[in-house]
Amino acid sequence: MKLAIDETRCKGCNLCTKVCPYHIFQAGKKPNKKGIVLPELDRPERCANCRLQYLYGRTLCGVCQLTCPDQAIHWVDEEPYEPMKVAIEY
Amino acid sequence: MSYEDWFRKDRLPHIFCAGCGNGTIINCTLAAIEQMDWKKDDTVFVSGIGCSSRASGYIITDSLHTTHGRAIAFATGVKMANPNLNVVVFTGDGDLAAIGGNHFIHACRRNIDITVVCMNNQIYGMTGGQGSPTTPKGCLSSTTPYGCVESPFDLSELAIAAGANYVSRWTSYHVKELEKAIKTGFETPGFSFIEALVQCPTAFGRRNKFKQVSDQIEYMKAHSLLKAKYDRLVESGEPVPTDMFIVGELAHRKRPVMGAKP
Amino acid sequence: MTRTEFWQGNIACAEGALAAGCRFFGGYPITPSTEVAEHMAVKLPKKNGVFIQMEDEIASIAAVIGASWTGARAMTATSGPGFSLMMENIGYAAMTETPCVIVNVQRGGPSTGQPTMGAQGDMMQCRFGSHGDYSIIALCPASVQEMYELTARAFNLADQYRVPVFLMADEIIGHMREKILVPDSVPLQQRKALVKGTLPFKPGADMIPGFPQFGKGYGVHVTGLTHDERGYPCATNPKLHETLVHRLVDKVEIARDQIADYDVINPDAEQVFIAYGAPVRTVQQLLHDRADEKIGFLRIRTVWPFPEKSLRAFKNAKRFLVPELNLGQIAREIERHTNVPVQSLPKLGGDLHTPQELREALEAGQ
Repeated sequence: MKLAIDETRCKGCNLCTKVCPYHIFQAGKKPNKKGIVLPELDRPERCANCRLQYLYGRTLCGVCQLTCPDQAIHWVDEEPYEPMKVAIEY
Repeated sequence: MSYEDWFRKDRLPHIFCAGCGNGTIINCTLAAIEQMDWKKDDTVFVSGIGCSSRASGYIITDSLHTTHGRAIAFATGVKMANPNLNVVVFTGDGDLAAIGGNHFIHACRRNIDITVVCMNNQIYGMTGGQGSPTTPKGCLSSTTPYGCVESPFDLSELAIAAGANYVSRWTSYHVKELEKAIKTGFETPGFSFIEALVQCPTAFGRRNKFKQVSDQIEYMKAHSLLKAKYDRLVESGEPVPTDMFIVGELAHRKRPVMGAKP
Repeated sequence: MTRTEFWQGNIACAEGALAAGCRFFGGYPITPSTEVAEHMAVKLPKKNGVFIQMEDEIASIAAVIGASWTGARAMTATSGPGFSLMMENIGYAAMTETPCVIVNVQRGGPSTGQPTMGAQGDMMQCRFGSHGDYSIIALCPASVQEMYELTARAFNLADQYRVPVFLMADEIIGHMREKILVPDSVPLQQRKALVKGTLPFKPGADMIPGFPQFGKGYGVHVTGLTHDERGYPCATNPKLHETLVHRLVDKVEIARDQIADYDVINPDAEQVFIAYGAPVRTVQQLLHDRADEKIGFLRIRTVWPFPEKSLRAFKNAKRFLVPELNLGQIAREIERHTNVPVQSLPKLGGDLHTPQELREALEAGQ
């Protein structure tokens, strides 16, 4: 699974940057065509839901998706699925 | 999460401003519904007029976007005529407490089996930021340019006094807790009222020293006092901070219910 | 087999609604319509229906509209002040094409006026009371029998044309007791369901879209905002708004002749009375008293949409005399449709015209 921001929906409020426990969402710098500054993803492979949703069979954490007022955050299946080495930060 | 299927995808993105909390509350409501295993065909969303009330139009089920303040009265008709439907009302503070105040207290009194989710942004957002019945004292709005002098309504207390079976208050910061509260509201027979304080960066925050969306979120986070903690403070006789609002489950009881599923 | 009863007008109204399959009543007590609500409160629970006394008339009509979307035949009953309160949501019902029946047992106004006296002062309000352009259907009973029959018909018209239908009775008919023949059943015409897969607000050839009942999987969004054929709000498109409002008005206007219900008596007469509601009875008395004179009489049961063709039935008419319990609201409407001089015979205060008054008016012009 991979985190994705839907560019057609995001309005650039940056609320996601406040709620992610791993601080994966970082305030962006460059406005897109609509003039909206989308947040950038910092090493999104750290997201617990990305890694463990298949294992647990349910959404873990998911606070960014719940909080996103514009329904712009979701997870997409990675094709092909590539297991990634993850450095756990304490 | 599969609650994404509940959105009318052809209508997104919605009309709410960047940073508006209403979208968050819709997410939490749909996430709670997903856990309830309700069917789309058996669920009806009703709303009145205002920012919050646009929510019903973004959900794929049958939905009734009604006149200003009357959402609960329409919902009463829907629920009484077909008790098998799950009826959820989206409303705002102006819609619910000002023009629709009478319908609100009477629905609580009847304890009709509907769930009301109130997105309380403490202002009239859609008309451009006029003072509402929940605008805190001293806050600026376009109709209270020298600071609001009227005392605000405590909507949850009002619902409890009027007889609602389930009352709970959270904010758009407390998404998980809010989701759980809405689910409990769905499960509780009778009138369930969930007050969700939301940020309104455009009409409220801008005028009241919240320069960024996150400033208001931080404020709500810092000024919410858990019900359990409030009870402990009262029990031990310690002073309760006056600038805080109580969040949590405020009432959960079993008064007789109208319009429950047969 | 019909049975004979001795009923009050308001009771006949409630019984007519029950016979037509009304299963939801939302109301608020108001003189002189309260008996309708009281009778429904007794009868509806026994017929698996719902009676609910709401907190005000605004909530009553709101609940009725909500109930109607679940497929129930729903009605409310009120009088002047309550009728005024309902206006906003009546516009909502017109915009969202919600079938519903609103009984207005009219009393003297404006304001609180004469709660226990009859009047016909709301005839224009029922047509034009809510803001914006729309069309409705209004029926006017002149007897207890018609209270029953027209109430039953009101439900059929509401379902067929998807508009609010008004039963514009008055205190005199509502509180009058007389003989009534109650039929075993009344004609029923159910609303046309939306064909699955078609857009919820896409009209058919008759300009009326099928009804997407809640809870049947249509997933319809109903809004009072200007909406497109999907039902989605689209409030800033001038063309769309124009098309929608034209359709809301035209769907009733093109059906004028099918809706129209009137009696033409003595079509060759030169002097013609036109009446609806309670004043019909005075005119009938006058005709009875002077049967040899061949006085013309147009008796209208459907006031809105106004059956203007009925006026042409009187080829020799020199004068239309219109006795009304208001200051000439429908007389003006009649003037719009004819070149024959129209004489309004207004009466306020709650009493009916006496046959003597009508006779004097008739003779004064001859």
